[in-house]
Amino acid sequence: MNRKLVCAVTVSAVVFSMAGTVMAADNGLAEDGKFVVGFDAEYPPYGYKDDNGEYTGFDLELAQGVADLEGWELVKTPIDWDSKDMELNSGAIDCIWNGFTMTGREDDYTWSVPYVDNSQVIVVSKDSGITDLAGLSGKIVGVQAASAALTLLEDPEGQKDLADTFAQLQQFPDYNTAFTELQAGSIDALAMDVGVAKYQVSSRDGFVILDEALNSEQYAIGFKKGNTALRDIVDADLQKLVDNGTFDKLAEKYDLTEFVTLGRGTEGTTEKATE
Amino acid sequence: MRIQVVLQQLASGMLRSLWIFILTLVFSLPLGLIVSFGRMSKNVVLRTIVKIYISIMRGTPLMLQLLVVYFGPYYLFGMSIGGNYRFTAIIIGFSVNYAAYFAEIYRSGIESMPAGQYEAAQLLGYSKSSTFFRIILPQVMKRILPSITNEVITLVKDTSLAFSLAYAEMFTIAKQIAASQTSFVPFIAAGVFYYIFNLVVALIMERIEKSMSYYR
Amino acid sequence: MKILEMNHIQKSFGDLEVLKDISLSVEDGEILSIIGPSGSGKSTLLRCAAMLENVNGGEVIYMGKKASWADETGRHMIKGEDAVKVRQIFGLVFQNFNLFPHYTVLKNITEAPILNQHRNKEEVYAQARELLRKIGLSDKENAYPYQLSGGQQQRAAIARALALNPKVLFFDEPTSALDPEITGEVLKVIKSLASLHIAMVIVTHEMAFARDISDRILFMDKGIIALEGSPDEVFHADHQRMKEFLGKFSR
Repeated sequence: MNRKLVCAVTVSAVVFSMAGTVMAADNGLAEDGKFVVGFDAEYPPYGYKDDNGEYTGFDLELAQGVADLEGWELVKTPIDWDSKDMELNSGAIDCIWNGFTMTGREDDYTWSVPYVDNSQVIVVSKDSGITDLAGLSGKIVGVQAASAALTLLEDPEGQKDLADTFAQLQQFPDYNTAFTELQAGSIDALAMDVGVAKYQVSSRDGFVILDEALNSEQYAIGFKKGNTALRDIVDADLQKLVDNGTFDKLAEKYDLTEFVTLGRGTEGTTEKATE
Repeated sequence: MRIQVVLQQLASGMLRSLWIFILTLVFSLPLGLIVSFGRMSKNVVLRTIVKIYISIMRGTPLMLQLLVVYFGPYYLFGMSIGGNYRFTAIIIGFSVNYAAYFAEIYRSGIESMPAGQYEAAQLLGYSKSSTFFRIILPQVMKRILPSITNEVITLVKDTSLAFSLAYAEMFTIAKQIAASQTSFVPFIAAGVFYYIFNLVVALIMERIEKSMSYYR
Repeated sequence: MKILEMNHIQKSFGDLEVLKDISLSVEDGEILSIIGPSGSGKSTLLRCAAMLENVNGGEVIYMGKKASWADETGRHMIKGEDAVKVRQIFGLVFQNFNLFPHYTVLKNITEAPILNQHRNKEEVYAQARELLRKIGLSDKENAYPYQLSGGQQQRAAIARALALNPKVLFFDEPTSALDPEITGEVLKVIKSLASLHIAMVIVTHEMAFARDISDRILFMDKGIIALEGSPDEVFHADHQRMKEFLGKFSR
């Protein structure tokens, strides 16, 4: 290893990183011209690694669409989901765009218009004999740490009463681990977003989604609280993507057509819909 | 995903892990020596400060330290971070943490040196610095090499903590591939990569140890 | 000419007073032995002379230059350029050799003259090889200390001290760490140095050797110089403690 090179690289990294931290244009981007999207790369179909090893997914392609419209460079930053608030507040990322549940977090972020209607559902093994939520009584249920499903199951006004009937509510870092545990029988059921659940159940054998959902909720893009400048730009661009058909095409590509809400005139959330 | 793609992806993650590994050693090994001087200083204030620093570094999780280094500037001073600071923060966090461990290893080695070596050097007219760098340090290095090797191998595995700052090193990439492929194979592949990495490190350390075995 | 003068030296470790008002001097080329029971302060005296310990009272003077002393303002040692010069006047051979284990015999001997005295490399190597020949270690110049016997290590340590051309060489019980059957080879080497006209101060328990080699002998007891004189004077003195001490050896 060339020692000089190592030193030079590191010194310049320090210098540039300090210099690069100065704010900010009035489009709300922390670093001008760079649209830094934070996402969970273990969250297909919204954000994940494709067969070529590239980060992709419904949300990331939408973000690419927005970046293209604005002439920004899209920086896909896979983050540790537990650190998402620190990443956003510190300006390390411009937004959280990754199947991010707005319901229950309305006051914590500045939100885009919701674009996916998502439910929290339960996945079980086909042969588990569990058919409804009541059947979860006395069972071990898994849920992703810091996820919307967990928030819901811990919320007294949500499904805490149901969660109290579980033998245990076990948190895990990612879905792959969770499904391995479910397969191995160390947990009985998993709570998660329906979109993720459909992707997982279709790519693995032997699992079903319970018909009875935990709730219904919406996905939106989360911006740092108060950053309406960037939010307004992204909202307008989303509408453009709906208008030119890109949005629907992507929904179809990722098998999300029945969940997306933009451009449907439903829920009264499409306030900027073109007439 | 084809297996070649998986391997190529893991290899690129390995390269990113390797960077952390190399830069951390480049900075923490000399830094640890300086810290050990502070730890052994006659100045009570300096010694106490260094003692507290070492105690914190060894007493709190490295992941927490990484978060503090990266997000600290924003939460403490309101500075906006981003861009290249991420990698810099990782190297700072790792180096400062490992320097504390290395400092204690250096100290144990330096304090185990018999006073006679210093006295002989003084009688022969060696200056303080040439006494240390020519007479003491080479013997200390030989004594502490096994402990250093332990830390270095731990560092290989600790590189996976870099993901707490969203730096996609090898283990993170393995997790991401495993998630999109709903498969366990990438983890096994990653395990093999780590093992080979450590095997190479162990071989290099063994070489160094051998190169110092010409005397007792 | 006086190489070394020690005037009214006092030295304590905590409450323990090891040296009580000791004065002595060493002439150019003189061989002085210091004998006495264990704990009488012989080694401490030597370490004070070699500036490995500072003194609680009195002064150590090398060739007229005050090197280590204590007064109302505290304990002092000469500093800077002067200290470098003063320290070149003396050398010390340790009881347990203290060779540098990571250096060959030759490097142990040559590095200090080249590095610290800035002497010509060729000249230093030539001198080192001559010294090795003299002490009978010519075939060991590339050996590491661990490959040598104790006696060979001590001889190498003597060569190392001599290579710096000191005016006075201190020996701190040079044979105490050696097996009895090999003390002879080291003593023989020390004897052979008499021809070099270097002053020597030898702390030893080898009575016959001290008697044989010395110009003068000091008998130390309980931190003072109890007897001083030629070997004959000291060994035949009508002195109670000296007789008891010698008695232990003849038994």
